[in-house]
Amino acid sequence: MTATATGLTAFRAHVRDWCRTHIPVGWREAQTGVGEEEFVAFQKAWFQELRRAGFAVPHWPAEWGGGMPVAEQIVLYQELAAHDAPRLVLAFVAIHHAAATLLAAGTDEQRRRHLPAILDGEIWVQGFSEPGAGSDLAALRTTARRERGAYVVNGQKLWASGAAHADWCLLLARTDPKAPKRRGISYFLLDMRTPGIDVRPIRQATGESHFCEVFLNDVEVPAANLVGPANEGWRVAQETLGAERGMTMLELAERLGNAGFRRLVELCSRPGPGGARPIGDSPVADRLAALETEVTGLRALCRDLVERHEAGTVGRADASIVKLYYSELLQRMTDFGTEVAGLAAHTELRKPLSSSWESGAWALDFIGSWEWTIPGGTSEIQRTIIAERGLGLPREPKGA
Amino acid sequence: MNIELSEEAAEYGRQALEAFKAAGGDGLVQQAEAEPGHRAEQVAPVLAELGAWDLDARGDADELEAAAALCRSAGYWAVPYPVAERLARPADLGTDGLVVVAGTAPAGAVAGLDLRWTAVTPDGRRATAAALPPAAPPRESAFVTGLALTPLDEAGAADAALGLVLPCWTLLGMLDRAIDLAREHVLVREQFGRPLAQFQGVQFQLTDAEVERSGLEMMARYALWSGQANLPEALDDALALRLAALEAAETVFRVAHQLHGAIGFCDESPLSWISRYSQPVRRLPLGLSATRDLLARRLGRHALTGRYGDVAERVTS
Repeated sequence: MTATATGLTAFRAHVRDWCRTHIPVGWREAQTGVGEEEFVAFQKAWFQELRRAGFAVPHWPAEWGGGMPVAEQIVLYQELAAHDAPRLVLAFVAIHHAAATLLAAGTDEQRRRHLPAILDGEIWVQGFSEPGAGSDLAALRTTARRERGAYVVNGQKLWASGAAHADWCLLLARTDPKAPKRRGISYFLLDMRTPGIDVRPIRQATGESHFCEVFLNDVEVPAANLVGPANEGWRVAQETLGAERGMTMLELAERLGNAGFRRLVELCSRPGPGGARPIGDSPVADRLAALETEVTGLRALCRDLVERHEAGTVGRADASIVKLYYSELLQRMTDFGTEVAGLAAHTELRKPLSSSWESGAWALDFIGSWEWTIPGGTSEIQRTIIAERGLGLPREPKGA
Repeated sequence: MNIELSEEAAEYGRQALEAFKAAGGDGLVQQAEAEPGHRAEQVAPVLAELGAWDLDARGDADELEAAAALCRSAGYWAVPYPVAERLARPADLGTDGLVVVAGTAPAGAVAGLDLRWTAVTPDGRRATAAALPPAAPPRESAFVTGLALTPLDEAGAADAALGLVLPCWTLLGMLDRAIDLAREHVLVREQFGRPLAQFQGVQFQLTDAEVERSGLEMMARYALWSGQANLPEALDDALALRLAALEAAETVFRVAHQLHGAIGFCDESPLSWISRYSQPVRRLPLGLSATRDLLARRLGRHALTGRYGDVAERVTS
């Protein structure tokens, strides 16, 4: 065994020990059907637990509290998944999107203001999409008008997940209405306590209101909260969106392959009302085997993506391939879970919060899986990227 | 064999579509969910006005076709009332409607209506059925509730076929609507400076959904005819229709949701309502794999006769 391999083995043992002693026993049951306040409190406490162990932001640079080698991060996420640890749902945008943006394009002052605050529990939301700007994000119409030392923002943001709990918002707004679409956009850090912000929940098919509309009426943003140069926000936003692609996908793939798949197998092994177990049916067993094969492929793809990021050899469509593969596999798996769980699953409208996308409340999980094929670049957009940037095929003719 | 719906039945379906629209359209199911106690008063008068209770689905072909067309129109608006179940009522038992049940926990989307029901299993065992008080509000249960059964007889083979076929017509109407909604959405919604409908990748998804839907329509007409003609394989044809309907629903709703984007999962969007209220008919009495399993067991080593069965016989003989 090489020195590095020995180190990794020791690290794995350390993470395993930590998981055994720190993951709250029975957290799934305790988090099922809880109210918003309890969910937020649990998420914040779990974040601090991970932080004390050095596991909350391993991907950040060492000077800000991270600095874990990529090989160890992979081990960390494998073990957290294997031990079915709660997921950092609430802090997700803060530790990935906000941090990636600040580290890539923020000022020292902005980093000093926000990165430690994120470690202390500051919650962020992404304010990108608008009613007329979904897949075509650059069509956004929210404006930010320069007035003295500030920008005055007006417009409407849509699908801001978790905006009700957010302290800060990553905001894209148009600062030069005359410039071509992508050129006149600027990137701001918006304090959600600023007057003029109205957050309204949108009721979804599941009965929850996880997404929000955010109305912005003459909201004043200090010029110091501009990230990167004015009118260069589109470029900065690519850093934000790029944060979704590497290690976060590996974490999700490990979750799907570990506790997620185990729960699916358990479901299929449970005796039905007539006493028979679904897994005894060969079509069910075949489907499970096929899904297991696909999950194995996904995990390998994610690992490869992370390592290629590290080596600087990542292809222009690699992230899209992983996102498309994950989202459609998640959808197939949760659909299958819903089918096996039967009618009863349809009235099970409480799921363990803080769980991964495959929580075991299969009907809710299946509906939730559409949060993967639609936002963050729809499957259609991912296919276009793979065709054009990956395979080098021509672009679709304009106005065809 | 003629599996075209008569012009009278088609016209009756169009009238029903307009009548449901005038009575509230998409608002019907939304209001029924908010006030489940009033759902019958909202819908039953419209059905009475349409002469629905005078239709004898077990009578001649014209009446059966009119019943099917009515179910389809009810599905189009996700009318919150068991129209198909009521139209399938047994001829000889004096009850108000028929629900096909299977498994150890019989259920139907018949909660909160003051009606007398007959239940029948796919193998023709009949029972009187009383709807139990619903365990969950319609937002969660879509009006599905448990049924308490008192066994009656084993004379329900024809009941089972009709009881399976008519709800598939309701589901067909739901798919008609889902396609219409998706089509309207991609024609109106612009991204990258043009309607989504101009992207071939979007067009192809919608065409795949439409192919499924129109295939289902043919199956629905055939199974209707097969039952009306009292063919010995009418029940197999009904199960085959159900299987096709469930498969088509998977494709159509998947495409409609994906093309709608996030709005399709919000209460503002009619698709979200149609999709949610399509669940009972897609899950009861048997879901996709259980329907497939039952059909496969019944067919054994035979095949479905189908429209061209006699042709196949001539070729092989």
